Amino acid sequence: MADPTSTPDDTPAVVLDNVSKSFGDHTVLDGVSLTIQRGSIAVMLGPSGTGKSVLLRCLVGLLQPDRGRVLVFGEDVAALDEKRAADRKRLFAIRRRFGMLFQDGALFDDMTVFDNVAFPMRLHTQLSEQAIHEKVSDRLARVGVAHAEQKFPSELSGGMRKRVAFARAIAIDPDIVLCDEPSSGLDPVMSATLDELILELHRTLGMTFIIISHDTAEARKVADTIGMLANGKLVTFGPAEQVFAENHPALEQFFTRATVGPIKVV
Amino acid sequence: MQSITQLVTHQVRQGADFVRFIGLALRIQFTRLPPRDVLVTQLVDAGWGSLALLTVLTLFAGLNLSVQSYGSFERFGGQDLLGMFAGVGGVRELYPVMAAVVCGARIGANLAASLANMRISEQIEALEVMAVDPVHYLVAPRLWAVTLALPLLCGYADVIGLAASYAGAVWQLGLDPGSFISQVQDAVRLADIGTGLLKGLIMGWLVAVISCFHGYTVAKRDGAEGVGIATNLAIVHGAVMCIVVNLILSWLIYG
Ligand SMILES: Nc1ncnc2c1ncn2[C@@H]1O[C@H](COP(=O)(O)OP(=O)(O)O)[C@@H](O)[C@H]1O
Ligand SMILES: [Mg+2]
Repeated sequence: MADPTSTPDDTPAVVLDNVSKSFGDHTVLDGVSLTIQRGSIAVMLGPSGTGKSVLLRCLVGLLQPDRGRVLVFGEDVAALDEKRAADRKRLFAIRRRFGMLFQDGALFDDMTVFDNVAFPMRLHTQLSEQAIHEKVSDRLARVGVAHAEQKFPSELSGGMRKRVAFARAIAIDPDIVLCDEPSSGLDPVMSATLDELILELHRTLGMTFIIISHDTAEARKVADTIGMLANGKLVTFGPAEQVFAENHPALEQFFTRATVGPIKVV
Repeated sequence: MQSITQLVTHQVRQGADFVRFIGLALRIQFTRLPPRDVLVTQLVDAGWGSLALLTVLTLFAGLNLSVQSYGSFERFGGQDLLGMFAGVGGVRELYPVMAAVVCGARIGANLAASLANMRISEQIEALEVMAVDPVHYLVAPRLWAVTLALPLLCGYADVIGLAASYAGAVWQLGLDPGSFISQVQDAVRLADIGTGLLKGLIMGWLVAVISCFHGYTVAKRDGAEGVGIATNLAIVHGAVMCIVVNLILSWLIYG
């Protein structure tokens, strides 16, 4: 891709360096540092309300961390000030390399399913309507909602909305795909289908995935990197097999669904 | 005491936010062309969507202007002044204000509700992640649409209102059609119609910017309740603004 933000291949896709974020006196992220390599599939686990979504928002500059650096392909997103025209341009250039699946889909409800998925293509590519049509149909078929092309989001079930949102997130073959709980609200079969689609996209297009999940089966199936957030801290992070072998108590609690452990239910 | 201070600081902060929003909206509205497809949808929504409501209201208003005032004029034998009264009162004041307040409330409620809903369902953030400036994509076309639609609606209200006044005067009260028409022609200058349209233009922009502000700046955590509050504020602030601005404009132009 002839992109001005292109950097040598060994630059990690994402580096968080001591990132902290508070809302009022509520510290959500407390000194989080991690590195996600290009072409990896990182799954972030953690109980609800620990700041997983906040972490994703910091990556695309929707939220500014209070401290720390957020490097995306080597460029510090946290240092860009959206109010300054030049920075805004940089930020937009970086955002074009992302696709994001929001936790609740965030589909545009005044557009059909087709137009939702076509939207980023019409915006950021030179494809003809014909080519867009083919590509949208392909994306929708892959997530199993081809029959709903002309429906509006309000006419879909929660799981279908999520799948359409995933199709939109991967519409223009982004370098990094952020998925906020892709499998919640999906039945097990659909969830497994989505996992396979992620693996296929990863294999064929080399996309980097950062996936937030509650689903331990999903983590085992797709992840090559696993992290766990709890109480604002990254309690463990690393290559999947290493993390599984190390068996951190919080992760163990998560995987065994125990109510007693380091994760406090309050 | 505490709560009064809080209330005041809240109002001051919201005022400052509003001023900043106006600055942002003006800059984006006048430095870049709005996206055409959104503009067209919004124009149809604001203009075409208001026609039925405005037709009914101005029909009754115009008819009333004739029929109700007839008694007063008759008392001193001034029935012939009816055309002048219906013309000037309607075109200079009543129809523009009515179009702005009523259509403004309808349009403003729609704008605030739809933007607030987009905010709480993360659609605005989704645009930002797709490297789209939501103020340019969502707010600018809405400002243009309402600013263009309201003067047209004012003009339309003039036509319907005058026709209704004529119908009332001639068919119900039996006044001479020719004299009514020449009365209206003498009393209503082109400038009066222009003034009405100008009022529509200004009030249209203000209605749009107020309701976009309330809708756009809803906080996600306020949820559905936030949508309701934003809609409510858009209607109330919009209507009050229309009446005040109409007074000021009338005073500046005719005073
Ligand atoms: N914009 C915001 N303003 C205030 N608090 C927020 C905001 N966004 C998130 N939070 C708070 O941060 C915490 C973490 O939220 P989130 O990242 O959504 O959790 P999760 O890990 O379930 O995705 C929550 O307590 C939430 O209330
Ligand atoms: Mg979340």
